[in-house]
Amino acid sequence: MKAMERPEARGVEATGVLTVDCDVHPHFEQGLKDLLPYLPSSWRRRLGVGLESSWSGDVYASRFSLPKNVLYINPVGALRRDSYPPDGSIPGSDPAYVRQQLLEGAGVDRAVLLGGDVFGLGALPDPDLAAAVASAYNDWLTERWLEFDDRFRGALVVAPQDPAPAAREIDRVAGRPGMVEVMLPLTNLLMGDRHYYPIYEAAEHHGLPIGCHVNSVDGVFVKGPQLAGGVFTYYTEWHAALTEVYHANVISLVCQGVFERFPGLKVVIAEGGFAWLPDVLWRLDRNYQALRDEVPWLKRLPSQYVFDHLRFTTQPMPEPARPEHLATLCEVIEAGRTLLFSSDYPHWDFDNPAVALNRLPEAIRDRVRGRNAAELFGDRL
Amino acid sequence: MARHVVCRVDELPEGGRRIVDVGGRSIGVFHVDGRYYAIRNVCPHMGAPLCLGTVGGTMLPSEPHTYTYGLENRILRCPWHGYEFDLETGRPPFGTYPLRVRIYPVRVEGDQVVIEA
Repeated sequence: MKAMERPEARGVEATGVLTVDCDVHPHFEQGLKDLLPYLPSSWRRRLGVGLESSWSGDVYASRFSLPKNVLYINPVGALRRDSYPPDGSIPGSDPAYVRQQLLEGAGVDRAVLLGGDVFGLGALPDPDLAAAVASAYNDWLTERWLEFDDRFRGALVVAPQDPAPAAREIDRVAGRPGMVEVMLPLTNLLMGDRHYYPIYEAAEHHGLPIGCHVNSVDGVFVKGPQLAGGVFTYYTEWHAALTEVYHANVISLVCQGVFERFPGLKVVIAEGGFAWLPDVLWRLDRNYQALRDEVPWLKRLPSQYVFDHLRFTTQPMPEPARPEHLATLCEVIEAGRTLLFSSDYPHWDFDNPAVALNRLPEAIRDRVRGRNAAELFGDRL
Repeated sequence: MARHVVCRVDELPEGGRRIVDVGGRSIGVFHVDGRYYAIRNVCPHMGAPLCLGTVGGTMLPSEPHTYTYGLENRILRCPWHGYEFDLETGRPPFGTYPLRVRIYPVRVEGDQVVIEA
């Protein structure tokens, strides 16, 4: 294999197209304590945040944190080793350092921020507590990130447990400059379930796509999305299987007729890659020919709903041994309109735009780099 | 290939590393377990600054459900994705995937650390 030169980061001046990174993770500096200024006193008390005598005290068993993967150990560590700021703080927690390393260092012109610490919100058993955390997070995101640099874009978070207050939260926050998406942490209810419809209605009303992201609680918490077949032993097994959740949710969204009910709704599937998608499309389309009368509200082939309403972020970019296989894959999933670039900064499986984009067929490279995102987010970008 | 002085010997103590620019090429020089290694500072997978990674060992090939740690201080692990490279060969240990990083001869001349690059 030829020795690799350090790829050069190129921003919009060089490419003529905005590089839009649709999956970047801001992290808290000190866990839930970061949300203290944004939580009403009753919820501080309930969470025990900052109160020595309660849940967040020093005894491990009583310390409260949001649900996350606590079973599987990534031997590489979950974060890019060079993404720790010089002061040793947590990667992704310092907006200035993210600006320096990702926006300027990697040539990213817009970074869509998906809360790295709130993916697991849907696995919380208490719907009211989850809603309080979501609201506080949205205010934190606005003040600390969106107001810091006008290249940051935000995905407001809703708690999926109780859809009516979640819809009100969308109404409360959607108008803020820089908000481009509604992040829906998943639960053990599939996304086509009518439970979610008030959330979809509000998102459609405000012209915001719904985003979902692998939750880190998948198959770990009872109220998180479940993985198929059983419980894995190793991180590498669990990580490779996370796309199962997206198989299930894409099928559910399409077959339940969500896009007939909400024709303006778009859904972004983040951090799932896309190599699993052809099988889902082909199975759904084949079934439709025989089984359409079970779901007669579907007026078109299922794959057409996917191409029109679903968007997929690239990372982790599939790396087949033969590049033409990636080109064929892109053709099957109509990547020229469905695929959005993402890096997953600052996580360990970061995709560098200067390398990952160049592996795609040239004809769709600019679409994936930023044009598809510009169509999706419109003026909000 | 030409001779380049990296630094004085006392500037690269045991366990240390230096990253130097040699004619536009970034190269990491390591001093571990009494040996010196020089390796290109670009990961062939995604272009990461490889030499900011950790130096340590790795699990040796073993029977299922058993672990044997070895090759301590021989493995440079990329700071982004954790890809492993043997400092002696520039290749993944045990030849498990077809990537290769350029390595360079290093020697001590008097009180200087020198590479051929």
